[in-house]
Amino acid sequence: MTDTLDDDDMLAAEYAIGLLTGEALEAAHARVGSDPAFAARVLRWERQLAPLADLPPLAPPAGARAALLQRLFPEPARAPFWQRLGLWQALAGGAVAVAVALAVLNPGPVAPPQTGPLYAAEIASQTGDFRVVALVDKAQDEVFLTRTAGAAPAGRILQVWAHGPDEPAQSVGLWPDGESVTLPLPREIAAVRGTLTLGISEEPPGGSPTGRPSGRVFGTVDIPGVTGTQD
Amino acid sequence: MAIPPQTAGGARVSDDLEDLISRCALGDRAAFAALYDATSAKLYAVCARVLGQDHAAEDAMQDAYVKIWAHAGRYRVTGHAPMTWLITIARNTAIDRLRARRLHHDIEEHHGGIAAPGPSPESVALARSEAGRIQRCLEELEQDRRAAITGAYLDGLSYAELATRAGIPLNTMRTWLRRGLAALRECMSR
Repeated sequence: MTDTLDDDDMLAAEYAIGLLTGEALEAAHARVGSDPAFAARVLRWERQLAPLADLPPLAPPAGARAALLQRLFPEPARAPFWQRLGLWQALAGGAVAVAVALAVLNPGPVAPPQTGPLYAAEIASQTGDFRVVALVDKAQDEVFLTRTAGAAPAGRILQVWAHGPDEPAQSVGLWPDGESVTLPLPREIAAVRGTLTLGISEEPPGGSPTGRPSGRVFGTVDIPGVTGTQD
Repeated sequence: MAIPPQTAGGARVSDDLEDLISRCALGDRAAFAALYDATSAKLYAVCARVLGQDHAAEDAMQDAYVKIWAHAGRYRVTGHAPMTWLITIARNTAIDRLRARRLHHDIEEHHGGIAAPGPSPESVALARSEAGRIQRCLEELEQDRRAAITGAYLDGLSYAELATRAGIPLNTMRTWLRRGLAALRECMSR
C-alpha cells in the first residue's frame, strides 16, 4: 500500500467525512448515484471510519423513546370511549379470557368501578422466594403493587416493567422501598389491548441504566383480555 | 411470553439487528421500538460525543432514528454491518446539526470559534475489536494527522478550521489528511 491515496479515494474519503462543499460536493454527490465504483469507495470509507464513532453506550434521556415514537407514530393515547365500554362489558359478562386471568388471582377480582375494569395478577419467582400482587386499575390507568414475599437485594431497588403483545418491555417505574407502591401507567402501556405483561426486576438505585431489565427478572405475568373486543 | 433479562455481551442482540432493520423496512413498528431499545445507547453516545450531552444530542438522535425508519429499505444495498449503518447515520446527522449550529453562531457572534469537543474517544478504553483496532491504528499515526482525522470525523471541522487550528496552510492540511487516511487504512487492513 502506498503512503497516500489516489485522487478518487481521497475524494471518496472527503465525501464520506463531509469535507466537500459547493460544486465539489454536488459533483461527488452526483457521482455516487451514477458511478458504482466510486459509490463503493465511499461505502468502504464509511465502514473504515465508523469505528471512530463506536463509543461506549450512553443511555439517552428517559423521555426520548416516547417522544420519538410519538413523533413517528402519533396515535391517540387512549382508546375511544366505546372501546373502553366494550372492555367493561367483556368483564361484566364474564368473558372467558378475563375469567382465566382472574382465576389465578390472590385477592380475587374487585367489583369494577363505573369507569373502567380492575385486573389483578400475581408476579412470582419460580422458586417462590419473591411474590408481588399487582392490581391494574384501568379507570385510573395505574398499577398498585404490594410485596407478599421477598425484596430487592441490599443496595438494589425494584423496577416494574410492562409491555403489550410483541412489544419490548418498557419501564413503568421504580419501586425503591416500601411494601407497596402505586405507579401511573405510561401512555403506551395504558394503550395496550390484548395481553398486558407485567414484570419486576432488581436494579441499581436510580433504575436500569439500559432502559431494559439489567438485573435479575424475578418474574412476569401475562394478563390476557385487556381489550375492547367482545367475544 | 417473558421479559428477557438483557445479556451482558449483547451478542444475540447484534445478530438480531439486521432482522429488525428488515422488519422496519416493512413498517413493523414493534421492530422499530426493539431496534431503538437495542441501539439507542450507542447512537446517543455518538450524538453526545459530537454535540455535547444536552438537548441537541437527543434531538439529533431522534432525527437519526427518523431517517433509519424512513430509509430502512436501503440498508441492504450499503453492504454495511448493521451497527456501521446505524452509527454512520447518527454521526452524519449529529455533524450536520453541529455545523448548522456553528454557522448560526458565526453569523450571530462574528467569531470563528470551534465548539469544544466532548471527551476524546482516544482517551476511552474500548474493548470491541473494530473500535479497539482503529484506536490502536490512530495511535500509530503522528499526532497531527490523528488530530486532523478525528477533528474532521468527530468534530465536523472544515479544511479551513482544521488548518487554522493546526496553524498550517489549507493545502498542507489536505496533504496531512490524505496521508493520515492512507496510513489508517493500511493499518486497518493489516
